Amino acid sequence: MNKLTDLTSAIQSIPDGTLLGLGGNTLNRAPMAAVMELARQKKHGLRLVKTAGGMDVDLLCFAGCVASVDAGFVSYETEYSLCQHYRQAVQAGTVKANEHACYTVISALRAASYGIPFMPVRGLQISDLVAANDYFAAVADPFTGETLNAVKAIRPQVSVIHAHLADERGNACIEGPKYDDILLSRASQTVIVTAERIVGDQYFSAGNIKADIPHFMVSAVVYAPRGAAPCACANTYGVRDEDIRSFLALDTAGDLDTWLQRRS
Amino acid sequence: MIRPCDIMTVSLARLIRDGETVFHGVSSHMPLIAVLLAKATHAPNAVHLNIPGGVDPYKPRLQSFTSAGDDLWQTAEAAFPLQDVFDLSMRGGLDVAFLSGVQFDSRGGVNASVIGDYRKPKIRLPGGAGSAVLIPTAKRAIIWRTKHDKRTFTQKLDFVTARGNVSEIVTPLCIFTMFGGELILKSVHQTSSIEEVADNTAFPIRYLSLATTPPPTEEELRTLQVIDPQDYRNLEFH
Repeated sequence: MNKLTDLTSAIQSIPDGTLLGLGGNTLNRAPMAAVMELARQKKHGLRLVKTAGGMDVDLLCFAGCVASVDAGFVSYETEYSLCQHYRQAVQAGTVKANEHACYTVISALRAASYGIPFMPVRGLQISDLVAANDYFAAVADPFTGETLNAVKAIRPQVSVIHAHLADERGNACIEGPKYDDILLSRASQTVIVTAERIVGDQYFSAGNIKADIPHFMVSAVVYAPRGAAPCACANTYGVRDEDIRSFLALDTAGDLDTWLQRRS
Repeated sequence: MIRPCDIMTVSLARLIRDGETVFHGVSSHMPLIAVLLAKATHAPNAVHLNIPGGVDPYKPRLQSFTSAGDDLWQTAEAAFPLQDVFDLSMRGGLDVAFLSGVQFDSRGGVNASVIGDYRKPKIRLPGGAGSAVLIPTAKRAIIWRTKHDKRTFTQKLDFVTARGNVSEIVTPLCIFTMFGGELILKSVHQTSSIEEVADNTAFPIRYLSLATTPPPTEEELRTLQVIDPQDYRNLEFH
């Protein structure tokens, strides 16, 4: 089945309110082309899931697309500093910050991929995060009685992952660091892949490189060269400093619209 | 004049022992460079673990915008991604985790979550990343923080992101260590003084013996220059 489609159509398939997984890590291989299109289409009530988010989370918060963020860390890292739009939205009460340890996002995704409702984790022994959040709860080991903490499964309805290579059927390959994207694909109901390069039908079957994400998990493939920009994409390009700085300098929703239209 | 970033990076490096498994995460250029320094000097067999999952990257060309990028992958010798690093810590196999935060109390508690109420925060911080699971499970959680004032070293945390196995906290003024469940002064940098530390710490300063942090050696400074010619160890002071 040919799942190759354009970015607009692929993103139109994501309803308001979707529990949405985002691939990559901070400014590394974030699916920015898809994120910018989500903002252009003015989605509402998205519930974002990511171990460590950055510009993707910040931009969607700025655009008013977000209801909640489940993440262990949300920042641009040191050079570009804090995610001010995320931060202001949480402080204003318009976005709910569901703070995890990065590992508890991983554990929640593992639970979903294993088809079980929660995952026990060691850690969180002394943390206010447990009492403050309803997705954590104490759980007893049924064999020894030892108390651990459980984290509730997170099963994203859709995840958007930017890959280096994909074929038209949806087989996708990530070069370099994969971060949590393979797990994210298994935990999600479906995956939208954006790819730097579309390869031929026989690319994976004829060669030694095999896809990390198999076609049957993927609902749409989008050809998106520089689809992580202005974030970085391993082996391919680094961050585009001027675009990150011009985004950080935006003031109003109108400025953001203009900035987004210039990059469509 | 010794720069705070150099004395901090060197101090972090010296806390790594040869052969230990050592992890740092995002926003962590200083510990990243400290691990490379330790491996280039006294701890060649330390095992460098990171988020992209490149084990022991060899002479990586560091990037300014991330401490979790493909630079740590390209020259690595094995793949051991973040999920595996966390699992290693959960089963007791991670020796050192480098972490930070914005508030610390006298009992080694760390807040990286919020200032004010968790649900209606005055300031939403980036979040603790791995802290809540690594601080209690790693054998030693080593904290660095480039700010040292009374709001940072406070009587009472707004929120406890994690407590656990904090072993040292390295600041631009001094090194704290945990002793009997309490943060005590281990050494004061020669660029500071015990008075300055006390004036900038909201809880009482206690110590067993007062030492001066040994300054960076010529060799350490030379090696830092080779590892980090772009001076990313100073990013947090910009």
